[in-house]
Amino acid sequence: MRLELRDVHHVYSPGTPFEVVALRGVTLSVEPGEVLSIVGGTGSGKSTLVQHMNLLLVPASGQVLVDGEDARTLKKSELRRRVGLVFQFPEAALFAPTVQEDVAFAPHRIGLGDEEVRTRVRQSLAAVGAGHLAERSPFALSGGEKRRVAIAGVLAMGPEVLVLDEPTAGLDPATRQDLLGLVRGLREAGISVVFVTHDLDEVAEVADRVCLMEGGVARAVGTPAEVFYANLENAPATVQIVAGLKAAYPGVGEPVRFEETTAALRELLEG
Amino acid sequence: MAASRGIGQFYPVASPLHALDPRAKILATAILVVGVFLIDSMAGFLVISGAIAALVVVGHIPTRTFLRLLRPVLFIVALTVFFQVLFSREGATLFEWGFVEVHSGGLRLGFLLALRILLLVSAAGLLTATTAPVALADGIEDLLSPLKKARFPAHEVAMMMTIALRFIPTLGEEAEKIQKAQAARGANFSEGGLVHRVRALVPVLVPLTIGAFRRADELAEAMESRGYRGGEGRTRYRELRFRYRDALALIVTVMILAAGVLA
Ligand SMILES: Nc1ncnc2c1ncn2[C@@H]1O[C@H](COP(=O)(O)OP(=O)(O)OP(=O)(O)O)[C@@H](O)[C@H]1O
Ligand SMILES: [Mg+2]
Repeated sequence: MRLELRDVHHVYSPGTPFEVVALRGVTLSVEPGEVLSIVGGTGSGKSTLVQHMNLLLVPASGQVLVDGEDARTLKKSELRRRVGLVFQFPEAALFAPTVQEDVAFAPHRIGLGDEEVRTRVRQSLAAVGAGHLAERSPFALSGGEKRRVAIAGVLAMGPEVLVLDEPTAGLDPATRQDLLGLVRGLREAGISVVFVTHDLDEVAEVADRVCLMEGGVARAVGTPAEVFYANLENAPATVQIVAGLKAAYPGVGEPVRFEETTAALRELLEG
Repeated sequence: MAASRGIGQFYPVASPLHALDPRAKILATAILVVGVFLIDSMAGFLVISGAIAALVVVGHIPTRTFLRLLRPVLFIVALTVFFQVLFSREGATLFEWGFVEVHSGGLRLGFLLALRILLLVSAAGLLTATTAPVALADGIEDLLSPLKKARFPAHEVAMMMTIALRFIPTLGEEAEKIQKAQAARGANFSEGGLVHRVRALVPVLVPLTIGAFRRADELAEAMESRGYRGGEGRTRYRELRFRYRDALALIVTVMILAAGVLA
């Protein structure tokens, strides 16, 4: 499915002294099967933006479109199933006595039968590498294990778009790599992924497109190379190194991924 | 956050009322509360209502925001008035239908009762809207401190109040976050019968409670690691200062009360 936000504005607590304008007209699309990364400083509106994708937040003005149709015309439950949203620190919402019951919550809520729910629970726990935790209590897990389980809890609905808000924050390198692997796997299965992160190296590795947020607007949208080479202060180390060499060696090109970058540099050194 | 708005919400603007010493405001509120019970005439109520309306303006609180504070008690007011009117048999009979009788005395009593409740809530709402929670707790501790001689744990009570007040908005935000996270997993809090709705709260209340206990633990450790050992010999970061204007505010309040009682 194709998700589109058109000129979305959002204001928290409007008309009170606590009023905060969090989004000031964002236009952005999530194309079918792509990995879209959203980056930007704290408070730039990333979390606010992604909560509009399944209408957990309703825009003050502007529109959210699903395959060209106004998302408000869809049933809420239908929309939330098709656009799975994993919050920042999703482990704070684990509640069931065992991991498998927790993961079964969402598929039960959308009305699947017991047999189907069991299959979904098994599949999504396996997808996040937490199959062995099924019988455990979610409260007795490590931080990284909790995070995996919480993601499985949304994955179990079988969303067409999976939105992950800072899924790798505070995790060890191995778990991060696992999650990036999950993102790649979903993409191969034709599921779009929206990936909010502060780790630009991760963006370089998995994103098809990048949206750079700043002060409630999308400052730049495009391929990682386009966005990073035009916004060096928000670029991963690979891009910064190459950009530093570019004036002297224009032939180096615009590599972004680690592999591409080392290849380009090797060519320079050997060439 | 929207859900936590209501009675007891602090309205953070700069105004002459906000600038007063919290002790003066607590005492003035107490005086007004006593006044509301002493007064028995329509004119008296007019005086007090007028005074509170004026204070709302002085406190820079928008009328609509203030009236919203009152909304949650309207149901209770309606209920008490209803019973008062139905069960009082004073004065002339105005209306009779089967065993239902409405008397003029009952109508009057019901009306006065409604006014009393609304004025009490308004006075309390004015206090909390113009006084930061922490200042309120400081003021209460100070006013209660003479009772320390009688072994009353004034500092501990105030500290508990401060912490509770401090964490109400935090808990509210946390609840909202968890509620959203569960809504993203298909939870539905606004449909179905009562049983269904109560059951729908379990996935919110369980993590909320666990989070609250974790937070309490962390807070206790943080306090201990900074050497907190209760109120004995503690100095204050915010010193309360009772100024001329605070005394003036109390005098004005007493005068309003006198005017109300004599009117
Ligand atoms: N529930 C809320 N009520 C009021 N203001 C809010 C709320 N949530 C966010 N804001 C404000 O909206 C703005 C955008 O916040 P948002 O959470 O979308 O930022 P973010 O880009 O996700 O930041 P981070 O990287 O720290 O997660 C901030 O100024 C924030 O203070
Ligand atoms: Mg965020």
